[in-house]
Amino acid sequence: MKKIIGIVVAVIVVVALGFAGWLYLGRDPMSFAGGSTVALADYHGADVTGVPAQLASADLVKRGEYLTHAADCQACHTAPGGAPFAGGFAFNMPFGTIYSTNITPDKQTGIGKYTDTQFLAAVHKGIRADGAKLYPAMPYSSYTYMTDADALAIKAYLFTLAPVNAPARQNQLSWPFSQRSLLALWNVMFNPDERFRPNTSESPQWNRGAYLAEAMGHCGDCHTPRNLAFALDNHGKFAGTLTAGWRAYNITGDNVSGLGDWSDEDLTSYLSTGHANGHGGAAGPMGEAADDSLSYLVPDDTRALATYLRSIPAHASDLPRTVTTAAPASYREGVAADANSRGEKIFAGACASCHDWTGVSPVTGFATLTGVRAVNDPSATNVAQTVINGVNRKTTDGRIFMPAFGAGYSDDDIAAVANYVTARFGAKGADLTGKDVSALRQQAAQQSKEAPNG
Amino acid sequence: MLTLTINGQSRDVDVPEDMPLLWVLRDHLSLVGTKYGCGIAQCGVCTVHVAGKPVRSCQLTVGDVGTRAIVTIEGIGSTPNGAKVQKAWMEAAVPQCGYCQAGQIMSATALLDANPQPDDADIDAAMAGNLCRCGTYIRIRRAIKNAAAKSA
Repeated sequence: MKKIIGIVVAVIVVVALGFAGWLYLGRDPMSFAGGSTVALADYHGADVTGVPAQLASADLVKRGEYLTHAADCQACHTAPGGAPFAGGFAFNMPFGTIYSTNITPDKQTGIGKYTDTQFLAAVHKGIRADGAKLYPAMPYSSYTYMTDADALAIKAYLFTLAPVNAPARQNQLSWPFSQRSLLALWNVMFNPDERFRPNTSESPQWNRGAYLAEAMGHCGDCHTPRNLAFALDNHGKFAGTLTAGWRAYNITGDNVSGLGDWSDEDLTSYLSTGHANGHGGAAGPMGEAADDSLSYLVPDDTRALATYLRSIPAHASDLPRTVTTAAPASYREGVAADANSRGEKIFAGACASCHDWTGVSPVTGFATLTGVRAVNDPSATNVAQTVINGVNRKTTDGRIFMPAFGAGYSDDDIAAVANYVTARFGAKGADLTGKDVSALRQQAAQQSKEAPNG
Repeated sequence: MLTLTINGQSRDVDVPEDMPLLWVLRDHLSLVGTKYGCGIAQCGVCTVHVAGKPVRSCQLTVGDVGTRAIVTIEGIGSTPNGAKVQKAWMEAAVPQCGYCQAGQIMSATALLDANPQPDDADIDAAMAGNLCRCGTYIRIRRAIKNAAAKSA
């Protein structure tokens, strides 16, 4: 009997260790490239960290501003309608809500008292000035690859901002997630706590792209699926996942569900403006990433990022091939007229005037639905979110605007029109219900799911 | 300086490219027949034709018009279907307060251009984006059918 128990225990231990090992192996976001890496100091290629050449002689604050954009601190450290960098943005997780904090230099409620060492500990190790551990909603397991010099340039820039008095909002987490000390184990498993190591088998441009994507832009924090411990699982690197109620798409080289059939021009256009003709535009969190971060990159950096993205191994996900032909001009053709009359009626009244029955907008290329990934995603997640939240982006090409319909239309209406749009213009009609739409509203909501404390 | 073709005429305007076409028409060219309603392409009152298609001019920036021909309510009577629609509108006494009617006539004309004999469902699909707070929808439908009958 004892022997059997011993064997069972041994098997469990081996399986658990194997599983932990598997999770651990998914930690390194750049291991897919193979080759050999060296410490930055031993790398003799071009400068792959820091600011681009044209800013090399700029002062520390200017350099920090560029890097702050590249690392996209603003998107998460700003609440909708709130002061930039003053925190309060809600992350709705399955186990509760976490709020971003104030990183303006306010001495009481911001980071005004942080020393350089304390700032580096927060960025690289996820450790607050008071020694408490940050939740990995702060992507320190990505920022850990950032050089000290770049992190301190960001600090120098943040310290030039006007201090805002904005106390941290109370997180609403269930036990045991409310216990920050448990993150010690998470950190051992999932934070490599090492700086970027250039890959000598790859070009300097690739290395620059890797630094921008991993250490700065932390693309994987939305585009890479997470494991059971909510750490990035790089076995499916950049294969796409749901984040905050929006789908971050597959950005691997897969021809069907990834970026494999995008031209270089499409890719750089999308990265620099948040839009590529024939592929549609960014909305929701990617719209913010485009407007707050990617659009600030100089063209060389955009190209480096594209080079790196091109090198990501193809990983098929469940997205069908995008339909690139327009729908018929008459509402009677294409998707059967009475198959979904509620969705069609809403489309006729609220959508057709800009998007047209063909999906090719007579108004602006930004409103063309043909070829857009959201429309070709059979879950219709981003179509529903865009209908609910609208689009309101300010770009160098002007304002991109679509009204938000979330307040005016019921969950059932939004489900009906999302199903109709995906069926008419995409590869496969969605099957959303009003309940699904209600859940999507919750996930993206910028309020706590529970009543606030006190 | 941008050059637009409006109602068959070439017009030069000195405006920013991101200005909505509606602003250009009303404030810079004094073509005030096209009205401002909701400003978010949801009411249809600002409808004009761009390359023959009904477009909400409050959302179309003037820089995106390019060389496409624009027809507004001031010029629609010079087109065959536009003349028929306007006549049918008068015969059926469609307007009540009238504010939405320029947009209704533009959408109705575009409908007949694309589909000379629309049935009720066609009319619904084409006109659903044009709101009328007076509720003249029944007369709008009748007038479109009368205009179509004259085309036959």
